[in-house]
Amino acid sequence: MIKAGTAQWLLHDVKNRGITAWLLAVVLTSFYLVLYFTEWLTPAARAVGLDGKWTLYGLLYSIAIVWGGIYVIRKYRHNRYQIVRTSVVIFVQVTFAFSIPQLLKFLHQPEYYFSYLWPLKMEYLTPGYIFSLPLPFILYSFLGSLLMVPVLAALFGKRWYCSWVCGCGGLANTFGEPWRHLSDKSSLSWKIEKVAVHTVLATSLLLTALLFVTWGVGKSNPEVARFTYGFQSFYGLMVSSMLAGVVGVGLYPLGGTRIWCRFFCPMAALLGLVQKFGRYRIRVKENMCISCGLCSKYCEMGIDVRSYAQASQSFTRASCVGCGLCAEVCPRGVLRLENVRVRAPQEASLIQISPMPSVRQAG
Amino acid sequence: MHYVIVGNGVAGITAAFALRKRDARAKITVISGESEYFFSRTALMYAFLDRMNLRDLEPFERKVYQKQRIDLLHGWVEDLNADRRELRLKDGAEIQYDRLLLATGSAPNRPDWPGLGEVKEGVVHFVSLQHLAECERLTPSTRRAVVVGGGLIGVELVECLVHHGVEVDFLVREDWYWPMALAPEEGKLIAQHLRHHGVRLHLQDEVTGVESGTGSRVSAVQTGQGKKLPCEMLGICIGVRPAVDWLRGVATPPALGRGIQVDRGFRTSLRDVWAAGDCAEFQRPDGTPFVEQIWYSAKRQGELAARAMLGDSIRYEPPLFFNSAKFFEIEYTTVGATTRLPDTARSFFHRWADREATIRIVEENGAVTGFSMLGSRWDHTVLERWVGERRSLDDVVARLHEAQFDVEFGRVPLAGLRAAFGAREVRA
Ligand SMILES: Cc1cc2nc3c(=O)[nH]c(=O)nc-3n(C[C@H](O)[C@H](O)[C@H](O)COP(=O)(O)OP(=O)(O)OC[C@H]3O[C@@H](n4cnc5c(N)ncnc54)[C@H](O)[C@@H]3O)c2cc1C
Ligand code: SF4
Repeated sequence: MIKAGTAQWLLHDVKNRGITAWLLAVVLTSFYLVLYFTEWLTPAARAVGLDGKWTLYGLLYSIAIVWGGIYVIRKYRHNRYQIVRTSVVIFVQVTFAFSIPQLLKFLHQPEYYFSYLWPLKMEYLTPGYIFSLPLPFILYSFLGSLLMVPVLAALFGKRWYCSWVCGCGGLANTFGEPWRHLSDKSSLSWKIEKVAVHTVLATSLLLTALLFVTWGVGKSNPEVARFTYGFQSFYGLMVSSMLAGVVGVGLYPLGGTRIWCRFFCPMAALLGLVQKFGRYRIRVKENMCISCGLCSKYCEMGIDVRSYAQASQSFTRASCVGCGLCAEVCPRGVLRLENVRVRAPQEASLIQISPMPSVRQAG
Repeated sequence: MHYVIVGNGVAGITAAFALRKRDARAKITVISGESEYFFSRTALMYAFLDRMNLRDLEPFERKVYQKQRIDLLHGWVEDLNADRRELRLKDGAEIQYDRLLLATGSAPNRPDWPGLGEVKEGVVHFVSLQHLAECERLTPSTRRAVVVGGGLIGVELVECLVHHGVEVDFLVREDWYWPMALAPEEGKLIAQHLRHHGVRLHLQDEVTGVESGTGSRVSAVQTGQGKKLPCEMLGICIGVRPAVDWLRGVATPPALGRGIQVDRGFRTSLRDVWAAGDCAEFQRPDGTPFVEQIWYSAKRQGELAARAMLGDSIRYEPPLFFNSAKFFEIEYTTVGATTRLPDTARSFFHRWADREATIRIVEENGAVTGFSMLGSRWDHTVLERWVGERRSLDDVVARLHEAQFDVEFGRVPLAGLRAAFGAREVRA
C-alpha cells in the first residue's frame, strides 16, 4: 500500500513505472541520443570550462555516482558489505574513471581508463589503437583483460568487476538504486538473457579477431579492412551507444538498472562463464526460507533467488553480479555471498530448480 | 487416481508438487477459498509496506501449475462426505476424490471483550489477504491504532501501521514482549527497539472493553490498568487456531480437537482423508495434543503427508525446533528450547554494548540445548548439529565463529563475548 501524501505518491509512481517514470525515461533516453548523435552539449561543456561533451558527461556521471552512492551508504549503513562495496565504487569512479584520465590528458598522455577493460572497452584490444600507446598502457591492457579479469573472477566471482569497479554497474548500484526491483524475473526473460548476452559476446570476439586479422593483413587486403571497419562502426553504434547508453541507462525507470549488464554486456557474459566454474556462490541456509520473495524482487539481474532459497539450494548463476542486495533484504538471513574452495558439483550448473523442497525426516 | 487438496497454502501446494513428482499420471486438484494462487502468507506485511505487489508474493510462476498439471480451483469447500468421497463447494459444485488432504491452515482467534460485538468497523486481523485488504482500506482514515497481542503477527502489523504514519499503542499482556520465545533480557531489547520506533508499548496490560462511536467504528479501548486508549483501528493479534470450524457441520466430520486430529502418518479419523500444516493436531507420547503453526513445519508436513498418501510408511517426528523472525530491523534466530526451561538448565547471555545484538546459549547437564540470537546472523544448521552432538558450552563458545552468517566484512566481533564468558567462568 502506498504511503499517504503527494510526495509519497510521486515517489511510488517514479519507482513503479508510473507516468513520471515514463517521463523520466524519455528525458534520460533523449539525453543519451543528444549526447551520442549531436554536438549540442559541446557549447555547454565549454561554457563551464571543460574541453568537450565527453568530459562533461564524465563529470555528470561521477556526480550521479557520488550522490547516489552516499544515498546507498546511508540506506544500508548497518551492512558493512554494502558500505565497503559502495565506497569502492565511488572511489573508482572519481579516480580511475574521471580524474586520472583527465590528468593523463593534461600531461599529454593518452586518455586511458584503467577501470575499463576489454571486451567492455573494445579499443583496449584493438591493435590499431592500443599499439599506438606507450608500453605500460599496452601491458596493462593485455594483462588486465586476459589475466587479471578471469583470475579475479575465478577467485571472487564477477562481482569484483561488475559491482565493485565497473562504471555501468556503479551507476546502476548508486543512482539506479530506486529502480533495481524492476528487472524481469520470469523464466522467459532468463532464456532471452542467455541468448542475447552470448550473442553479443560472440560478436565482440569475432570483431576482435577481425581487427587483429586486419591489423596483420589489412594493408594488402583492402576488402577485409573495409568489412572490418564497417563491422566495427556498426558494433560501436549498436552496442556501445545504443545498448549501453540509450537503452541501458535510458530505460532505468522502466526496465530496471541492469538491462545492459544482463542482456548485452560482453564483459559480463565472459565473466559469467568464468564465475560458473569459479569459487563464488550464494549460500542458502537450509530450510530457513519463508518464500517471501524479497530477494527476487530486489535482484537487479532478474534472478529468481527465491526459487533456489526455498529449495534450500546454494547456487551460482552466471549473471549474478554479487551486489549482495538479496542477502541484505532477506528478513530471515537465509543468503550469504561467499567464495569457497570446494563446491558441490551441481551448484555450478544452470539447473532448473524443481519446485519441490526436499525434506530431511528427523528422528 | 484423483488427489484433492483443500487449501493452497504452503502445506497444500508442497504436497501437490510432491504427489506429482512421484505420480506422473494422477489427477491433482487444489481447492482454496482465499486466493486462486499460492502466495506467501509470511510476506503479507511486505505488501502492506509497499515493498512488494501482491503478485510478487507468489512463490512460483503461474505456468508451473500448468506444467505440473495441478488444477487450481478457487472456492470455499462447505461440505465433506467421506462415505461418498465427495466435497461440495459454496457455489454448489461437487468434487469427487479418491484421496483427500485437508490443509486449511489457521484462522485468527477472536476474543469476546465487552463491547467488541457492537463494533462494526475498524477491527482487523492480519492473517489473510482479505485481512490485508481491510487493513489497507482502513489505514488512511486511521490516526491512532491499538494492536493487541505480543506475538509475531502483532509486531508485524505494528511495523506496517507505524510505516504508514499511524500512532500505535501496542498492548502486551505479559511481563515482557513474547515470553513464549524470548527471555526477559531479549524482550527488553525488543521493547526498547519498538519504543525507539515510536510505538507506545504497554506491558502487563490487557483489553477490558471496547468502545465504538459514529458508524459503530471502534473509538477507544479500555485496559486492565485503567487506561483509555482512543483509536480508529483495533488490531487483534492474539494468536491463531486451526481453521477447522467449517468441519464441525459437515456430513462426516473428522475427529477434531483444537485441530484435525491425525496420527503420525497424517491420517485423520476418516478413510482416505489426511491432514497437514497449521490445521493438523498430533499427539505427544504422553497423550497431550500439539499443533505446529509455523511455515517450516507446514512445508515439511505437506511433503511428508504427500508421501503418506502415496502409501509410504511415515512417522512424523518434529525435528529440533528452529525459527526465525524480524522485529523492525532486528533479526532473530533460535534453535532448540530457550524459554520455560527446567531448573537444571543454565544459560550464558551476552549483549553487545555497541549494537542491538544479543546471544543466549542454553546448557543442560553439560550439553548445549538451545540458542537464541538477536541482531546478528547465524547458520542454524550448525547450531542444530552442536545440539545433536551434545557439545559443551565451553566448546561451543570457542567455535562460535563457525556458525556466523553475517555478511562479508560485517561479522559481529566475538572477542568481547569470549572475554565475558571467561570472566563468568572464573566467578562461578
Ligand atoms: C502475518 C503472518 C506472518 C507469518 N510469519 C511467519 C514467519 O515469519 N515464519 C513462520 O514460520 N511462520 C509464519 N507465519 C505462519 C505461517 O504463515 C503458517 O504456519 C503457514 O502459512 C501455514 O501454512 P498452511 O499451508 O498450513 O496453511 P495456510 O497458509 O493458512 O493456507 C490454508 C489455505 O486453506 C484455505 N482454506 C481454509 N479453509 C478452506 C475451505 N473450507 N475451503 C477452501 N479453502 C480453504 C485458505 O484459503 C488458505 O489459503 C505467519 C503467519 C502470518 C499470518
Ligand atoms: S528474501 Fe530470504 S526468506 Fe524471502 S524468499 Fe528470499 S531467501 Fe527466502
